[in-house]
Amino acid sequence: MTAVIETSGLTKRYRRVTALSDCTVSVPQGRISALVGSNGAGKTTLLRLLAGLAAPTAGRAVVLGGEPRQDPAYLAEIGFLAQEIPLYRRRTAQDHIGIGAHLNPRWDGESVRARLAGLKIPLDRPVGTLSGGQRAQVALALTLAKRPGLLLLDEPLAALDPLARRNFLGALAEAGAGGGLTIVLSSHLIADIERVCDHLILLAESRATLCDDVETLLAEHRVLTGPRKDTTAIARAHTIVREDTTARQTTLLVKLNGPVIDPAWVVEEANLEEIVLGYMSQDDAGYGTGPEAAPLSAVGGDR
Amino acid sequence: MTWVTWQQYRYQAALAAALFAALAVLLLLTGLHAAWVWHSALAGCAKDNSCASPVGSTLSLGSPTVAALVVMTSAVPLLPGLFWGAPTVAGELETGTNQFAWTQSITRRHWLAVRSGWLLLAAAVLAGAVSAIVTWWSGPYNALTADAFQVNRFDITDIVPVGYAIFAMALGICAGALLRRTLPALAVTLAGFGAVRALIALWLRLHYLTPVTVHYKLTAPFTPAGSYLAVSQGVIGANGNPPASGTGAVGVDGVPVPAACQQFMPKAGINLQPVLSCMTAHGYRGYLTYQPASRFWAFQGIETGIFVALAAVLLGVTFWVLRRRDA
Repeated sequence: MTAVIETSGLTKRYRRVTALSDCTVSVPQGRISALVGSNGAGKTTLLRLLAGLAAPTAGRAVVLGGEPRQDPAYLAEIGFLAQEIPLYRRRTAQDHIGIGAHLNPRWDGESVRARLAGLKIPLDRPVGTLSGGQRAQVALALTLAKRPGLLLLDEPLAALDPLARRNFLGALAEAGAGGGLTIVLSSHLIADIERVCDHLILLAESRATLCDDVETLLAEHRVLTGPRKDTTAIARAHTIVREDTTARQTTLLVKLNGPVIDPAWVVEEANLEEIVLGYMSQDDAGYGTGPEAAPLSAVGGDR
Repeated sequence: MTWVTWQQYRYQAALAAALFAALAVLLLLTGLHAAWVWHSALAGCAKDNSCASPVGSTLSLGSPTVAALVVMTSAVPLLPGLFWGAPTVAGELETGTNQFAWTQSITRRHWLAVRSGWLLLAAAVLAGAVSAIVTWWSGPYNALTADAFQVNRFDITDIVPVGYAIFAMALGICAGALLRRTLPALAVTLAGFGAVRALIALWLRLHYLTPVTVHYKLTAPFTPAGSYLAVSQGVIGANGNPPASGTGAVGVDGVPVPAACQQFMPKAGINLQPVLSCMTAHGYRGYLTYQPASRFWAFQGIETGIFVALAAVLLGVTFWVLRRRDA
């Protein structure tokens, strides 16, 4: 599989703040990738760099075989939906369809009309008068109508109620089903995106901590439960991502490096949320970021 | 992109057209009236052969309110830049819609080029149309008071308003792109336009071409033909310096009268001939430094060129900012 997104050492500094530092990720073609991380971890910055809306301070991104650039052919391949769902509030959905038709070489205005009709969203009302969820649907429909090769969605679920969220994700999965479309969407709602995403990028403190297929992540992480005991033996063989200790038992999230031999541990599969939270709380506790530099203990979780 | 620009500005365009139509009707009616008054006065003086002398500034060509309104059209070139130019980039950045516009299959450069191109054209057409009708309207006034070259008439007639409008539009667009917020961009456009216009109209314009200086006898004051632009005027002595001041409050037209001629100052009345003859005898003469009426079109051209060049610089900065800065 060829990589649609390949970044190396991608860094973005604003005057004082480093929004993204040394971010190296790779997303193969056809994946639906979840971009997760705490607030301010750099998710929006990464998406904007990939969309060509911002230029990196250092490092390099290669998207669809070239660097993000001001070139109609490149821009035609990118569908970007910003977090604040920017649409012209006084214009109708119909007006936006017209704008899209005039600014894009391949444009499927009919698909927007069909989608919005299905959702009973009026085409002839100013989008500023629609609800937040309806606006998000209009914006997504417009982004899809561009027929991009890469869809970059920044927090598209935030404005949606649970039912709309399910419909939205269903539509995404459908759009990605052909295999040609690659999607990266940032979200805090891990349980929701787990259903559709087959790839995950975790940003922590402006770095990429995890970047892999969900299948691989699930395969190489395990939750170990056992009586309270010394964990140095485990730490020698595997990488402990997170350790929770109560008076009687110890629970570990471990990145495996072979089978767990010690029979004292009950080994269970980890779900995606446990893995993500494991790495996020690691960051939260102020330890080093890479899985290699995994800390030994984070008793009690957060500070 | 042209269609998109039209979509976004059609209501503003309709409003501008309506305001222009209202102004045009007013100026057409009052202008026809002024022309009729002027031609009647000419016909009247032709009968008793008194046209050689000035027709007289007592002749009223129409309402002073309308005349004041016409002077106020000097603000017209600013308005498109203020209300269309300043928000064109800043408004998008403020609402975030640039993230929509600039992720369609069109480069930011193309987006800005088409949009600013149409806005510049619209501003030029609007200012040109208002100027055309104001120029026609001013005809009788120019003939009566020979004011075509004066500040407040020069600035609202012929081609300079087009240059001003192009400059104001470029300034608005550039300020919006740099400041990224509409309100500050409006303020900067307003202040910048006012400052540049004042600096050029009151100072730089006097020096576009080397002015002509004429010396004349104080007893036979000199007035150039047609509408001229005075740079400076005064009295100099034989040594080339103006008369020394400090000999009391006595003076002619603000010029101190030399001690030797003070005795000729009229005790009563306004007959200044004796004192002027005395000053002439002592080597004093008047001078007028001015730009002659024949340079009117050269000055219109130079001033328009300056404003168009400033606009080009501002647009260059805007393109650079849009390319280099993050969206």
